[in-house]
Amino acid sequence: MTVYARSPTPLAEAEVSDTSSVSAQIEICDVTKLYGTVAAVKDFSLTVRRGEFLTILGPSGSGKTTALMLLAGFVAPSKGDILISGRSVAAVPSYRRDQGIVFQNYALFPHLTVRRNLEFPLEMRGMKATERARRVDRMLVRVHLKDFGDRMPSQLSGGQQQRVALARALIGDPPILLLDEPLGALDRNLREQMQGEIKALHREFRKTTICVTHDQEEALTLSDRIVVMRAGRIEQTDTPEALYDRPTTRFVANFLGEANILESRDFKIEADAAQPLGTVAMIRPERVCITAPAAPKRADADLRHSVTGKVDDMLYAGPLRKYQVRVGRSLVIVREQVASGQQTFRAGEEVRLEWLRSDIRFVTS
Amino acid sequence: MEKLQKLGRMPVGLIIPAIAILFVIFGVPIVQLFLISVNAPSFSLVNYQAFFRQQENVFVLFQTIKMSVVATAICVIIGYPTAYLIVIASKPVRTGLIVFVFIPWLTSGLVRTYAWTVILGDHGLINNLLLDLRLISDPLPLLYNRLAVYIGMVHIMLPIMILPLLSVMQGIDQSLLAAARSMGARPFAAFWRVFLPLSLPGVRSGTLLVFVVSLGFFITPQALGGLRDAMLSNFIAVQVASSLNLAPIAAAAFILLAIAVFMLSLFGMDIYGTQDHRGRTVRKSWRSQLSSLGALPRYLNEIAIPYRARHWAAQLYQAGSGSSWSKIAGAVFVLLVMIYLLFPELIVIIMSFSAGPFLEFPPSGFSLQWYRSLFGDPSWIRAFWDSFQIGVTVTILSTIAGTLAAAGLARTSPRPRTFLMMVILTPITFPAIVVGVAAYLGLVNLGLIGTKTGIVLAHSIGSIAYVVVIVAATLANFDQRLEHAAKSMRAGPVRTFMRVTLPLIRPGIIGGAVFAFIASFDEMVVTSLVSGFSIRTLPLKMFENINQQIDPTIAAVGSLLTLMPVLWLVALYVTWWRSRLRLQDAPVNSVA
Repeated sequence: MTVYARSPTPLAEAEVSDTSSVSAQIEICDVTKLYGTVAAVKDFSLTVRRGEFLTILGPSGSGKTTALMLLAGFVAPSKGDILISGRSVAAVPSYRRDQGIVFQNYALFPHLTVRRNLEFPLEMRGMKATERARRVDRMLVRVHLKDFGDRMPSQLSGGQQQRVALARALIGDPPILLLDEPLGALDRNLREQMQGEIKALHREFRKTTICVTHDQEEALTLSDRIVVMRAGRIEQTDTPEALYDRPTTRFVANFLGEANILESRDFKIEADAAQPLGTVAMIRPERVCITAPAAPKRADADLRHSVTGKVDDMLYAGPLRKYQVRVGRSLVIVREQVASGQQTFRAGEEVRLEWLRSDIRFVTS
Repeated sequence: MEKLQKLGRMPVGLIIPAIAILFVIFGVPIVQLFLISVNAPSFSLVNYQAFFRQQENVFVLFQTIKMSVVATAICVIIGYPTAYLIVIASKPVRTGLIVFVFIPWLTSGLVRTYAWTVILGDHGLINNLLLDLRLISDPLPLLYNRLAVYIGMVHIMLPIMILPLLSVMQGIDQSLLAAARSMGARPFAAFWRVFLPLSLPGVRSGTLLVFVVSLGFFITPQALGGLRDAMLSNFIAVQVASSLNLAPIAAAAFILLAIAVFMLSLFGMDIYGTQDHRGRTVRKSWRSQLSSLGALPRYLNEIAIPYRARHWAAQLYQAGSGSSWSKIAGAVFVLLVMIYLLFPELIVIIMSFSAGPFLEFPPSGFSLQWYRSLFGDPSWIRAFWDSFQIGVTVTILSTIAGTLAAAGLARTSPRPRTFLMMVILTPITFPAIVVGVAAYLGLVNLGLIGTKTGIVLAHSIGSIAYVVVIVAATLANFDQRLEHAAKSMRAGPVRTFMRVTLPLIRPGIIGGAVFAFIASFDEMVVTSLVSGFSIRTLPLKMFENINQQIDPTIAAVGSLLTLMPVLWLVALYVTWWRSRLRLQDAPVNSVA
């Protein structure tokens, strides 16, 4: 009987339940990270539930990468604390945290084969060679790379490298998975395919996952919840649907999808009791209907706003048409599904725009 | 104009000037030398047998190999941690340290050797200090022994080891180490399993360079060693000076060359592995590594696994202890290495301003007397002037020939390119003494022994190699599509080169020219063989007087030779900096 058979490690326990959802809760409490006097992340507080897929979304320079570095343990917070399963990890170096990370450019070890790359985290955990081989085989099958184990990373395509990186992050069965712009290096088609792959892996392993990206589409399709960051602070946190449907700030409205801000000088919106002070009205392009000025009024006309304008430009994009309509000094974007028997408008034509009052959202500017 | 255009279309034509010089000065004579060594036309190995029959020869041969191995090993042991510490330092510190490694590399090897005679001599720095402190009553015999030779050799070759290590280490993606740590590798494991294997190509090229250069060492064993510390180069040089029989010299030269070539083929030929080749060679060397050496670390690793398994749980979520102690140790180590690299040069400069009648340290006062005596002595002035003239001529010749050759090589297909590159680099990859003997024979053929033209030609083959290496590296980063773009806008090949290619690779050409000048100005081994008795270049005259430690005039010469590369470095930095500034401005302008 060996010494370490007597004292089972967490890994041995994980082995019993195998790839069951061993995931952790993450609490970030009021974290600030200063570089010199500049705060890359300021007063950042967030709780990530067990098994949740959370995306931190923001433009470059918004502090999202710093947030991930803090979570990964590559930088230490200047202020505040990070708790994983209730224990403070702010001072724990990255190699003592049990986290799988997929790096922006994958960071596959160029001098090791795919198989040795996957074995690396297992070796560091002290797993025996036979067990390592078994796990790697299983994982290679899972990510559809069964016959690629002996290739070098440089001999793989971008999508294959991405899958190796995901497999390497998952193989040690860490409770937390961190993704840093995971699909940034892939072309469009592959990106969609890999989004599905990541989603499937998350469903299967139920890891608490934090993904950092600047790609709104990636964020919307993958996440349970999205955190929008701006200049080091959290702008808004919500589910993708809520975030898109009910943005609270003009920044979020513009960053996630397209937004028409209805300036009061061009649009007369009856002072709504629900409009808070200091907000502007906003409508999504797909909520706007475009018709000929002479078209008969609808039955629910009293529930609608209606303005006239002049078509500035029309873009045809396969399943939909996108109009730019000039109303006063404002340009309203209208997105319309292409349907049969529909009237198309050319640049210069007069049109009437309509939308439901209930589709208007008020955002702080 | 038409001819030029034709030449431009024919890449091989651009290489002809460089190859022609190399062929006449080095190629033909080295073949001649080989034929002499095998006793052509009767073809026998008598010369080699004669070499090995003499016990003294075999002794010197083994000593040469042994000293080269030891010096190389010391360079790896000191150089690797130094390079690593430099790479992980913060950016301003790193830049400073790299400059500190560059300065001695550009400084005359002769001056640096001389500095050690000043430090280690009977009336040198260390002995004087110990005598003054009354710790000893008689000077310690620090000079003229094996230890002094090693100190001098390692001092000279450490930059040659550190610089390729730095270039490889700086290319290692830092996110790989972060990845390793995120997978539970402690700092040492991350280093051992990821950083070290990826830095091995640098170790390989550094080791190779240092070993081959060591084989041809000439100045240092002569100036710092005793009679029993002679290396094969000294042995060959003595024979060239004393006898007219080329056969034993040829045999000895080819034995030395054979060892060098054996080492090169053992570790792979391309010392200056270009960027696009590197990826491939890394992978290849890794395959062989896994099969041969890989077994041992893997075995040790398996042993360590149960230990790690036991500690894994305990280590999870444990706060890391401060590693300030290791940081201090690292800083001290780098400081000591920098002192070792730079202190001798500093000594020479300080001493050249000494007011005393003898060489003394610390100097009793400040005076320019030794510079006055240097510039008052017509023989020194003549030597300086000769060296300068030769250097400038070599620079012009080799910059033109080398740039053309590099441009031609960039257009040839990879296979002949690799071969031609190897051929052009032979003068700086072969042991200096072999190049010297070959150049000697080549100039004898041309009847140019003891003439300035002869020395210029002999220096040019090495200088061309430097220019080709540097310009080729610049061209490798040059985007060929820019040339295509220019041609699509109706610019002919010549105009394309002058208006687009040349301005963009100018920093490389200037860098190549600086190296060409330094290489020529500092050259001593080849010069000593081909100069006859009529011309004394500055290094040659200095070498004659190097053992006369009493005369600080040499310190004045030495500090001139030391300050020059520093000035060159500043000049280089300014041109590179300016070109980079211009490149940074470019996008801003195009936006505006």
